[in-house]
Amino acid sequence: MKQDAFSKLHPAVNLLFFIGAIAFGVLLQHPVYLLAGIFASGAYYLFLNGRKGLKNILLMIPLFIFVTLFNPIVNTRGVTVLFSYLDRPYTLEALIYGVAVAATFVLMLLWFGCCGRVLTGDKFTCLFGNLAPSLSLLLVMVFRMIPNLLQKAKQIIGVRSSIGKGTAEKSSLKDKLNSGMTVMGILTSWALEGSITTSDSMRSRGYGTAKRTSFMIYRMTATDWILSAVMLVLISVVIFFAASGSMNVQFLPERDITPIKGFNAIGFIAYFGYLLIPTILNIREVIQWKFSESKI
Amino acid sequence: MEIFRIENLSFSYPASQNKSLDNVSLKINRGEYTVLCGKSGSGKTTLLRHLKTVLTPHGKRTGEIYFSGTALKDADSRNQSSKIGFVMQNPDDQIVTDKVWHELAFGLESLGCDRKTMRSRVAEMACYFGIQDWFHKDVALLSGGQKQLLNLASIMAMQPEILILDEPTSQLDPIAASDFLNTVRKINTELGTTVIITEHRLEDIFPYADRAIVMDSGRIIADGAPRSIGKFLFEQNNPMFTAMPAPVRVFYNANGNGDCPLTVREGRAWLSKEFEAEPDIKEIPCENIDEYIESPALSLKELWFRYEKDSPDILRGVSLEVPSGSISAIVGGNGAGKSTMLKAICGICRPYRGKIKVFGKPVGKFRSGELFRNCISMLPQDPKSLFVKNKVFDELAEMTKDKNRINEIAEICHITDLMNNHPYDLSGGEQQRVALAKVLLTEPKILLLDEPTKGMDSFFKETFAEILNELKSQGIAILAVSHDVEFCAKYADRVSMFFDGQVLTTDSPRKFFGSNSFYTTAANRMSRHVFTNAVTAENVVELYCKNKGGAQ
Repeated sequence: MKQDAFSKLHPAVNLLFFIGAIAFGVLLQHPVYLLAGIFASGAYYLFLNGRKGLKNILLMIPLFIFVTLFNPIVNTRGVTVLFSYLDRPYTLEALIYGVAVAATFVLMLLWFGCCGRVLTGDKFTCLFGNLAPSLSLLLVMVFRMIPNLLQKAKQIIGVRSSIGKGTAEKSSLKDKLNSGMTVMGILTSWALEGSITTSDSMRSRGYGTAKRTSFMIYRMTATDWILSAVMLVLISVVIFFAASGSMNVQFLPERDITPIKGFNAIGFIAYFGYLLIPTILNIREVIQWKFSESKI
Repeated sequence: MEIFRIENLSFSYPASQNKSLDNVSLKINRGEYTVLCGKSGSGKTTLLRHLKTVLTPHGKRTGEIYFSGTALKDADSRNQSSKIGFVMQNPDDQIVTDKVWHELAFGLESLGCDRKTMRSRVAEMACYFGIQDWFHKDVALLSGGQKQLLNLASIMAMQPEILILDEPTSQLDPIAASDFLNTVRKINTELGTTVIITEHRLEDIFPYADRAIVMDSGRIIADGAPRSIGKFLFEQNNPMFTAMPAPVRVFYNANGNGDCPLTVREGRAWLSKEFEAEPDIKEIPCENIDEYIESPALSLKELWFRYEKDSPDILRGVSLEVPSGSISAIVGGNGAGKSTMLKAICGICRPYRGKIKVFGKPVGKFRSGELFRNCISMLPQDPKSLFVKNKVFDELAEMTKDKNRINEIAEICHITDLMNNHPYDLSGGEQQRVALAKVLLTEPKILLLDEPTKGMDSFFKETFAEILNELKSQGIAILAVSHDVEFCAKYADRVSMFFDGQVLTTDSPRKFFGSNSFYTTAANRMSRHVFTNAVTAENVVELYCKNKGGAQ
């Protein structure tokens, strides 16, 4: 599996980035900030998922529109009434607020999508392995069990159909349920049987004889330290400006959006720069490759 | 210097009257490579499990085991975990974590090693076992052979003094198995680690072991150098003799003189010496198989298949005809697509081009379910995937309500005694026969077998072959795909080679294996410079005796 430039960093750096990006994404409702967030997360999402990513992003558009239009129906506050229906007002402010809610929603989908690709199971357990070794081992075993069971279920279904015990398309719902239950039954006993061997194998390799340590294949390099420092500085700047009120917005009952100009722009630039870190790293890698290629 | 000393060990499982181990006394010396052989159920696994406290089964026990001079039960578990390495049968279930690198480190993590030591040990092991290339992979993406190698490596990372292996290759194909066994041998010779191993596949181990121990019903009946064990078993007329490597079987059955050959090379040298002049009779007369099959039970024409739109083709124009009343075998490498072909016949995967006809009727014309009733049935590679009930009898009753028929089939498959057992409690060979019985209850006219001899020991193979012959005489068409060259050579009527997504040549086993020089049986490799078409040990013995005019 090929990793992008950002995924190759230490998991702690990845985690720090996503904590920042997701927390700010939820807290900052300022339209310009949301737009910047969607742009940055969208770019990175596309980078990670390629053509399939584009398809997923396009699927988010109807979701966006739905959430936007739906908000004024449940939320009737706001001073500018666009029209009324069933004695309920449909207001412009609520509509705009709907846009913000929808944007936050999409933004979260995108960031979590990226996060899932970057912080894979092993990185996650690596991070928390030392804090809670048993819990992280449990997680690892679950990660392994799920694909295993799915594969076995597929095998069993195939085998049963080849002795004429499968479900044809035409069979009744009751038959299908019955056959599903049978497959579940085999899977369970199979898994139990396997877990005896697994526990033997664990105890045979000294599980429970000493306090567990956890192995890391990742090491903090100079790049990791520098990037963490940069991220921490940018986060502080954003927090400072957020605290000073330069990102305040109010949608209801009346619109009041703090404009971004002059001194305030520094906060925005810090935020946008922070979100673009993964994309910048990837672009840098591409350019470096092209450059070294042209030398050959 | 001894590493293990077992004194008068007897053991019986709680619910059982019989002793699984009966007064076993044994010394294992440091650095020795010991192979433990015996039928399924002779107590091999029980004995091995006694050598590590955490794995020791519950039951009634007398006698004492000493590890490096101290009683094993007093040796602390931490010491035991790292110094006694234990590899089990099932490659999949032994693996705990989801990544290769994590699995390698698992034992060290449990022992509480610091990161620096772990890093260097893991790196060392990955290099020694050639795991670097798949170091970052998900465990789920590995082949069976790679998984078992990973299990071995993750145990070796703890630097054990002794390595205990309980039928480690029974789930692997022959090539992966011999790779694995070579690695074990390398560990023994290069690192001096003591090895105790149980195996069905004695051909790959026997010549290299320092010592062989034979067990029967919980007792040790022979213990000595491999060469002397072959002689002992032959003289005792012990059924274990059938599990000996082909050169040994040929040598004793032909009443050979001198030192018994253990490897193909030694076997060749022995035959060359015996036949310095060319032998008068060089081949066994054999009939040609009919190229043309009148109304084949099953015919495949130009099947093409791939799993996904962009993935490479697995079947690339498979054409095959299978006649009724005979055993057809298809041999070929791992992952060549043999099993996929069977799946295509059963409709589990659908070829995008080509025709499958069953008794002259295209499969598409069969109404749903009709194809598997009284027509086609497949015995899967893993018999466990067929079991759904708690009792063997219920298992069979799922297929038919006719009690007499169940009893008949149980009789044929030799499982009448097992009717009240839980299918999971049976041994591998027994499970295979129960699965076969279940499959046979669909009253098939065409029986498909996917790796039927996997994990079976040599006695079960013979019983199994008898069952197949019985079915054959009833006119059932049997199509088996298998890695087991020896089995196909001995029992099949027609053998085909599967390569590059196609069925290449079809011939009688004697012709087929007689003309191959690599992909053939050990007996053939050993005798091909003297005899032209001897493919089984029996063939070689027959020709040997004919030429020597000896009594046989």
